[in-house]
Amino acid sequence: MAKRKKFEEEEIEANLLPVMNIMLLLIPALLLAMEVAQMAAISVSPPKYAAQADQKEEKKQEEPLNLKVFIMEEGYRVSASGQQQGAEAGKSADSSAPTIPLKTPGAPLDDYNRYDYDALEATAKKYKGLFSHETVVTVGAENNIPMQVLVGTMDALRGRDCRLLKAMQGEEVPPECLFWQPIVDAGAG
Amino acid sequence: MTPEEEAFLAKKKEKQAARRGKPEEKAVLTMTSLMDIISIIVVYLLKTYGSDPVVITPTAGQKIPMSKADSPIQEGVPIYVSQRDITFESKKIVQLDEQGEVDAAAVQNHLIGPLFDALAEEADKSKQMAESRGTEWPGRVIVVGDQGLKFKTLVDVLYTAGRAEFHEYLFCVIQNS
Repeated sequence: MAKRKKFEEEEIEANLLPVMNIMLLLIPALLLAMEVAQMAAISVSPPKYAAQADQKEEKKQEEPLNLKVFIMEEGYRVSASGQQQGAEAGKSADSSAPTIPLKTPGAPLDDYNRYDYDALEATAKKYKGLFSHETVVTVGAENNIPMQVLVGTMDALRGRDCRLLKAMQGEEVPPECLFWQPIVDAGAG
Repeated sequence: MTPEEEAFLAKKKEKQAARRGKPEEKAVLTMTSLMDIISIIVVYLLKTYGSDPVVITPTAGQKIPMSKADSPIQEGVPIYVSQRDITFESKKIVQLDEQGEVDAAAVQNHLIGPLFDALAEEADKSKQMAESRGTEWPGRVIVVGDQGLKFKTLVDVLYTAGRAEFHEYLFCVIQNS
């Protein structure tokens, strides 16, 4: 009869050190790879008629611009000092046609890039060159205009190179910033 | 397990080890790696949550607008406005219709009744808190809207917040650098 070998159970301790090392590398790698949405804020104001009257008294020397941008389904209507840009001669407004037409006419409303943000920014730069002290713009829109278009419009009017973070910490507002104080007005058109 | 039993088992293991001709091994818990991991996680969590005074958690299906703006979100009261409903303090205040507009029964001259009640209550509470702390009430509301939110609905929300004595408005956006 064959003698059964006596099996001696050996305790093997798992070496956890390499696993821990890999874990140590994996955690920062995964954290870095993770996409974190960086939140920011756009400060907007309601129309303040009383405050505007005060400003007029303070800035008697400086002519107010009163820049207004109205977002329509067909494009932007821009007006300043009560005069719509591009209006027919002798008329203060020409409501039938937008000042800045759509970049992609016929595109659906949920295509947020249908508006010509570059042309709007160029217009804002032109006005800023004439009225360097102005920072306020009144923005209105038709009822169906999506919020993303409103935000994109405010970006273009503020200037897309404008960084206000340092200005909020007490530094001066950089010269790239155009009209960075938007007033949202339902009746701006 | 009683202390006697534990002592007995320890003695037994010692004897077993002696039989095998091995010296007794004492398990030493190396905490260094664990401490490293925990330190990284703690720093990460502090950096994520500690810097923002307000934690914005969008509702299901909500797409926050993208923007080039870089101003940080300041302390305020968030109102979540998706294309389906308006949520305030984790409660659905108003249901929006298929066109993304507030139900006509809930809104009168731009004033959204249920939202106004909730905001007015919040304004009273936060004013009292600010008074007890001896600070000025910021009166700031953070509108966490959807990309497709209609301007009409947005104006209704802003008007309602204004009537509830909130005087500073922030649009929450995702920074698009």
